[in-house]
Order: sequence, then C-alpha cells, then structure tokens
Amino acid sequence: MSSFFKSRSAQITVLIVSFLLVFIPYFIPWGPLDWLSGKLMTIAAVTNAFTIVIAVYSQFRRSGRFINERRKGWVYHIYLLALMAIMTLSGFIFGQHAGAYEWLLLAVVTPLSSVIYGILAFYMSSAGARAFRARSPHAALLLLAGFVVLMYQAPLTGAFFPGIEGAAVYLTDTFGMSVSRMFSISVSIGAIVLGVRMLTGKEVAFLGFGEGDE
Amino acid sequence: MADEGGIYKRMATYDKRWVYVALFIVVLGPLINPIGMPIGISAQTRHYKAELDTLQEGDIVFSTWNMEFSGYMELKPGVLATHKMFIEKGVKLCIAFGHFEGVALPPEIFKQLKKWTDDYDYTEGEDYIIIGYVFPNEAAVAALAGDFHANVRVDWRGESIEGTFLDEIQNGGDFAMISDYTTGLATTNIIRHIVLEYDTPMVVNSIGVSVPGHLANLDAGLITALLASTRGGAELEFLIGSPGPGLKSMDAFTFGHYSLIIFIIIGNIGHYGWTRRSGARDRTGIR
Repeated sequence: MSSFFKSRSAQITVLIVSFLLVFIPYFIPWGPLDWLSGKLMTIAAVTNAFTIVIAVYSQFRRSGRFINERRKGWVYHIYLLALMAIMTLSGFIFGQHAGAYEWLLLAVVTPLSSVIYGILAFYMSSAGARAFRARSPHAALLLLAGFVVLMYQAPLTGAFFPGIEGAAVYLTDTFGMSVSRMFSISVSIGAIVLGVRMLTGKEVAFLGFGEGDE
Repeated sequence: MADEGGIYKRMATYDKRWVYVALFIVVLGPLINPIGMPIGISAQTRHYKAELDTLQEGDIVFSTWNMEFSGYMELKPGVLATHKMFIEKGVKLCIAFGHFEGVALPPEIFKQLKKWTDDYDYTEGEDYIIIGYVFPNEAAVAALAGDFHANVRVDWRGESIEGTFLDEIQNGGDFAMISDYTTGLATTNIIRHIVLEYDTPMVVNSIGVSVPGHLANLDAGLITALLASTRGGAELEFLIGSPGPGLKSMDAFTFGHYSLIIFIIIGNIGHYGWTRRSGARDRTGIR
C-alpha cells in the first residue's frame, strides 16, 4: 500500500485533483465546490505552517555534519544552533509576549536585521555611482534617465524645480513600467508553463523523483 | 614612473570607500541636526491621501503589515502617518503580519501613536484587533480571504475575536479597504486572492525598490493608491500636518541623493578625460 502512495502516478493524481479543486471554482461558482476548495486551502495553509519543523530538523542535521567534520566555519554553526535553540525554547516556554522572547526579538534580532538593511544603502550607492558611466550612446541615454529620476527623488529638487516631476513620472510611467510589466508577464508565463509541466508529469523533481524514476 | 592617467584616472577609478565615507557624513549630519529644507509633494501622495479620505467612521480596514523590522525602518513615516489618519477618522483596524518579526512591531508602532490613541480613546479589542502572523504563505492568504473565521479565531494574544467588530467580516470582500505596508512578502497574494476576487480597494505603502513593480499594479487598477518609501511617508506627514520621522529624514535623503549624483558626475568626467587621453576606452577599469 505504501509503495502505491510513493509511486509517481499516485502523487501526480493527488496533484491534479488538488489543482482542479482550487482551479474550477474560479470559473464555476457552486456552493459545495467552493466549500471544498476553501477547506483544502485551509488544510494546505496549516500543513504548510508545520513544514517549519522540517526546516528546523534539516538545519540541525546539516549543521551537525559541519560540526562533526570540523568543516570551515563550523564554529558559526554552533552559534547558529545555539541561537535557534534559545529563540525556539524561549518562545515555547515563555510565549511570544513574555519578556525573554520580546527582549531577544527587540534587542537582538531586529537591530541586526535593521543594520543589514542599512548597509545595503552603502553598497547600492557605491555600485550605482561606479556603474553609471556613459561608455556608449545607449549608456549615455540610461545615464540621462537615471539622472532625471535621481534628481526628482531628492526631495529638495521638487520644491525648486516642480517641472522635474513631469519628466521623472514620464520616464517611470513609460519605460520603467513597460520593463516592470514585461518582467511580471514573463514570471507569470513561466509559472504557468512550470505548472503545466508539473501537472503533466514532465517536472517531477519537486516530488523527489529523478529522471526516469517511477 | 609618471602616472599615465593623472587626475582623470583617479576620478574614474575612485575607491568605493570614498562613497561610503561621503554617504555616511551627508546622511548622519542632517539626521543629528536637521536643517528643515523644503520638499516637493508628489501627485501620487496627494492621491494616496485622497483615497484614505474616502473612509468613513466605523469602516473596517485590513491593515496588512507585510514587512520585517528592517523594512519598517523605511516605511515607518508612512505607517505612522496613515495610522494617525485611521485613528482620527475612527476607522476600525484588523492588523495582520506577513513576517514573523511582525510581533515586534505593534509595541513599537503603538508607542509612537500613543498621543493619538489616548486623544481619540482608541483601544485594542474595541477599535483595533491584531490577529498576528497569519500570512506565512499564499495558501494562508487564499484560505483567509475565502473564510475569515475558519482561519482566524483568536487575536495575537490568544483572546477570542468572537463578539468583536470582526464578526462583520466573513471574507475579504467585507473590508472597506486593505492598507498594505510592504517589503514584498504577501502583497501579491493579497492582490490575487482578495483584490481580484472581491474587488476590495487596496492602498500600498512600499519600499523604494518595489515601487516600479507597484506602479504597474497601480496603472492596471489592482491597487488604488501608492505611497512610495520614506519620501512618500514624509509627504503624507506634511499633508496631514503632523511632522514625524519622515520629514526629519528628508534633509539626509536630499543630501544622500545629491552626493550620489556628484559621484556619478565625477566618475563620468574622469572616464571621459581618461579614455579620451589614453584612447583606451575598453580598458577602463572600475575598481
């Protein structure tokens, strides 16, 4: 029986049924089907939340290997596991509104998270400053557009040269938006293609199968 | 041996640490001692405020905090200014998080809003309810959008939400508006499963790098208004007449942008002079 559930065709059948249960109600609004679809999504949401347990387990196993084999950076893995254990235990034992957990979150996690985010500004500025070079007519046009948008983004500019808003908005609403749309459409089409490949059994790596596995 | 490139080469290949130092100084100076330079108010922010002005007392707004604490630092002015408007208008708020760090946000945000919550007697449980980290993934958003009470029975403190204003909410279509603050977590899922399904109006306060993506959503009518980054928040603070962290940071914002422009100009002058002199445009090194 277990070999049946482990088989490729059984798992793809479950995938197709789940897909149809969620997909069809978008086009055929029928009470019982809506209810079933809603229940399935709730089950998926709850099941998904529990996958964090697998993530924690996998991280412990991976870090355990690093530490046992004394691989490069193994000390950091001890630090990582210790912090994971402290955060998890303080949350479970004292609760998320207790002093210990809140302190760890507010005094350790959030400042570190903010620092990493802040550092990005330096990297982005440095990269931008050194990458914007008029090496060709195309690059010069890009530079010009970047210059107008950057000037507009500086709050003081708009106060003295209100006209710059029109130029900057034109650039973002035409060239910027068309690229953004192209990106979104490409991602969506890619997702649809991937979905079709998964449903037709051409993409099975996500189920843990290799090429030719049954 | 003589320097082949001279001053132009030095300008074209300046050390990136100069950018770091300059940025650090021009940002830190005005933050410590703000100058109070004037700012321009964009049409986008005026439109955002006009959208919020359509809300009536008692309307239930879904305030979705799709941000980590780090992202909150950029969105803080917009978050505070928008919530000040909500409190003043007597709007009811259902607050949800899209990141586990969200649990650190309410104490910080409501501490900043204390004057408003005290003045308008705006209390948790009666006027706003925090339902916590309910958006770990797309399935959760879809499930909550379709049947709110099947997925949310208690608030973030574990208190039942039965008998509160959330009784009026059955699905995503029962909210008067969604007010989203995003670094890009569950926002797209909310658009897919609430906005497209129930036609619920949605306004977004986004970090700078995500603005171009949201402009396409705005243009397509998926969201009704967009507040862009710290600057948008500062403009909203100005429009509602309540200066806050956004307006305080605008001097640093201006100087930061201008310093970047100066570095770009220096680099290009150097690049042009150096490659013209040496005739070796292809060898231009960026170190």
